[in-house]
Amino acid sequence: MSAEPTVNGSGSPEEQTDGVDDVNSKKINKYDSGAADLEKVTDYAEEKEVISTDDISGAMTIIGDRRLKEAADKIAKEKELQKVSIKKSDVELIIREMEISKTLAERTLRECHGDVVEALVALTN
Amino acid sequence: MPSGQPLPPKENSLFKRILRCYEQKQYKNGLKFAKQILSNPKFSEHGETLAMKGLTLNFLGRKEEAYEHVRRGLRNDLTSHVCWHVYGLLQRSDKKYDEAIKCYRNALKWEKDNIQILRDLSLLQIQMRDLEGYRDTRYQLFMLRPTQRASWIGYAMAYHLLNDYDMALKILETFRKTQMVSAPFDFEYSELLLYQNMVIQESHGILDAIKHLDMYKENIFDKLTVLEIYGSLYLQMGEYHLATLCYEKLLRRNQENTPYYLKIKEAKQLHNDECVYNMLCGYRKKFPKALAPKRLCLTFASGNTFRSEVDSYLRAGFHKGVPPLFVDLRSLYKNKQKVQIIEDLLKSYVNNLTMFNSFDSEDVSVKEPASALLWVYHYLAQHYDYLDDIQKALTYIDMAIEHTPTLIELFVTKGRILKHAGDVYEAYKWLDEAQGLDTADRYINSKCAKYMLRADLIKEAEETCSKFTREGVSPMENLNEMQCMWFQTECALAFQRLGKWGESLKKCHEVDRHFTEIIDDQFDFHTYCMRKMTLRSYVNLLRLEDVLRSHPFYFRVARCAIQVYLHLHDKPPTDASSSNELDTGNMAPGQLKKLLNKQRKAQRKAQEEKAQALAAQEKRDMHKNRQQVTNTSDEADALPLDELLPEKLERVEDPLEQSIKFLKPLQELASDNIETHLMAFEIYYRKDKLLLMLQSIIRSHRINPDHPMFHNCLIRFMEKLLKFKNIQEEMQLVLNKQLEPILGGRSAAEINSQFLAKHHKSLPALFQGLKMKYKLDNSSQQEVLDQITKLDDSLEDVNIQTCTEILNSLINGEIGEVGHVIEEYRKTCFKRFPLATAFHTDQDRSPMPLWSNSCKTLNETHENCVSN
Repeated sequence: MSAEPTVNGSGSPEEQTDGVDDVNSKKINKYDSGAADLEKVTDYAEEKEVISTDDISGAMTIIGDRRLKEAADKIAKEKELQKVSIKKSDVELIIREMEISKTLAERTLRECHGDVVEALVALTN
Repeated sequence: MPSGQPLPPKENSLFKRILRCYEQKQYKNGLKFAKQILSNPKFSEHGETLAMKGLTLNFLGRKEEAYEHVRRGLRNDLTSHVCWHVYGLLQRSDKKYDEAIKCYRNALKWEKDNIQILRDLSLLQIQMRDLEGYRDTRYQLFMLRPTQRASWIGYAMAYHLLNDYDMALKILETFRKTQMVSAPFDFEYSELLLYQNMVIQESHGILDAIKHLDMYKENIFDKLTVLEIYGSLYLQMGEYHLATLCYEKLLRRNQENTPYYLKIKEAKQLHNDECVYNMLCGYRKKFPKALAPKRLCLTFASGNTFRSEVDSYLRAGFHKGVPPLFVDLRSLYKNKQKVQIIEDLLKSYVNNLTMFNSFDSEDVSVKEPASALLWVYHYLAQHYDYLDDIQKALTYIDMAIEHTPTLIELFVTKGRILKHAGDVYEAYKWLDEAQGLDTADRYINSKCAKYMLRADLIKEAEETCSKFTREGVSPMENLNEMQCMWFQTECALAFQRLGKWGESLKKCHEVDRHFTEIIDDQFDFHTYCMRKMTLRSYVNLLRLEDVLRSHPFYFRVARCAIQVYLHLHDKPPTDASSSNELDTGNMAPGQLKKLLNKQRKAQRKAQEEKAQALAAQEKRDMHKNRQQVTNTSDEADALPLDELLPEKLERVEDPLEQSIKFLKPLQELASDNIETHLMAFEIYYRKDKLLLMLQSIIRSHRINPDHPMFHNCLIRFMEKLLKFKNIQEEMQLVLNKQLEPILGGRSAAEINSQFLAKHHKSLPALFQGLKMKYKLDNSSQQEVLDQITKLDDSLEDVNIQTCTEILNSLINGEIGEVGHVIEEYRKTCFKRFPLATAFHTDQDRSPMPLWSNSCKTLNETHENCVSN
């Protein structure tokens, strides 16, 4: 199973190479000039190998380091936010009055250190 | 672990051919190969083949079969990443992006490093703007295929879109170093460099961007863009001399590019209009054929200089016969002095042309063509129309028509004047006349249709448009297919005026769907642009799609939908007949009669058309059946959307929730428009959501605290707050804290009287202030009525719309029982706006001096046209 279905785009319903469709597609083309160009947008193209691996080992390390730092930052920030304790009734109040999603309500409340008034002020601004 | 059902070599090679056929869009052949595998009883339930057959069927438009096959395939082989992938692709083609992502994730469970699935996943993530997810997927792709160009570009772009310029630039620079310039004209390398420069500029590295250009400009072939970038960078840096040189080079390429001249003005740091004028004169001499510097001179000249400049500009225009001359000069009308100068000149032209056939009274040797006087009349009509002097505007346009009764522009101008005068019906007649003079002119055709819609003649407008829509299809359908939004918006507004709420909503939803479709259409470009390296255009496309619904077209249609939904909430339709019931209360009797006549006619026509449509439908069905027999099909993506039914839309259970759907994009993308927040207020006022009302109040206050409607909302909000009992403590705290800066401790009555004192000269403000005064204190009725119906000359911003609103509020009892005041006010308005049908009764409609005059000319022209 080495070959994969390779798909890039929805394609277009009329298939121009097909004999049966010929008359039809001609008619369509009359109204949609440029349709042929649009068709090309969804053509499949194989990616070429362009770079030799020697050139890039340096860059790979930079990128790798960066990835680790990103992940660490994200976790740290989330952790910080999760530490804030919030009241369920406050979240419910925010959801009911501001008509926003639970995730957003909780997030705002945490960012305001659990202070519901501050959160509502921030949301009404 | 790939598949639970491995195929033997022969079948396996057939299967690969199915995949190949699919890639190359040879769907018929693909089906043939699938049949070869499936016809073998041993493999008739082979999951991956069934799935691929389904996917292929999908692209032939056989959606139901497609789903059946793909699902059956997946059931037979749940551990195959191919089956999951295919199911995801199928969902994606139906725009069920969330579902598709789930399928891809399942597929990746069975084959976590599959490039193709990761690529498809990344496409959905960028489409949904899950930028962090996109970055992570691009990272995986990058690690798997570091030797491919797309891996680098995609990964860098992910950081660029996340505004992490540093990282984006690092990746781009490393990648650039690996690129050999192979061909002498390597366009893709050139585009890559320009993209890199774009990212540098956005990271605010002005100096770096210049250095980058200095280094690589030889390899960039878009020389125009290079120069423009240099110019703007030098300007930002304050290198004014260099900037000037750049823009002068650009001017040599294109002398008609107005912004270049303004950039030079900026670079030369000219703050004095006279200096700018002198500079422009220099360029005018240098480029004697260019129009742009000539026109710009008028903007910066003043006093006597302006007089002589505009004199020669106008003479040239009238001599040549430039129809849009007024439109060209309209922006000068902000300056009252210039308007006066232009008016004086025009009057002298009329005088001299009639007496001597020349613009001059002293030197009459140069004779002008007869058409010069015509164009002066035409200009004067538009001039006075702009200044709201309808009487004079009509006089001049009638003179022009008498001069040359067959000039289309004159008819259009006359229609426009009448529209401004408040008579949409007569306006449409003149446009129809214009349209009749040249039925092959699409512009006039569209204008005419628009004026018909303004006069609520929807059937007629459709018929007019049908001259340019595809034959054999109903024009309304074809206009929808072509995403002709102006037409659909005007239809929605016309239906709204007619009280056909469901029909109006249908049009609003159609336009909304166009916007969704435009967003969906970007999907194919995620791969295409990366492949073609048109990265700057690609990023601009993404940014455009992000704010697509900030377009004024969306605003207009969303406002209409919200208003209709609010109305449906306030007055829900009761029984089946009510959809045809009219909001007759707001109409003058003359209008009503006309309307009823129109309706009867329309009904008759509708019946005939229904019969025709039925016949056409039958024909189409037959055609379709035939098509299915021959196995051809189009309309692959015609199926999925629900049909929009007016009756259903009108009887929606939760109109307010529906209106919020139209409001949300506006809040996000048109938040600097005060109307957005005023509409939000109206919705949440009806939902009794105090904090959301507060939000709208705060936001509108920030934009314009003096807006009449804001004042109206504020007072109503305060009234509502008083009625609320037991507001939760936290909410009360928020309300106090947020309202303090706006109210400053004042009561509603105090705020209102201060508002009235401050804006006693402006009618719209006065109207809202007085309305609130009555609301706060019913005993003030007499005083309010006296002031609200007074239309003396000291008032500002008196227009037909505000007067109509006042008349309607009197009729609707918003100021209580008022009796004869209504009729008196109507007469006052009628005197002020004699042509506005909003203030007409039946008697007023019949012959008036001005009116019969235009009728006469209309008939005369008619005869003329016939004899021609």
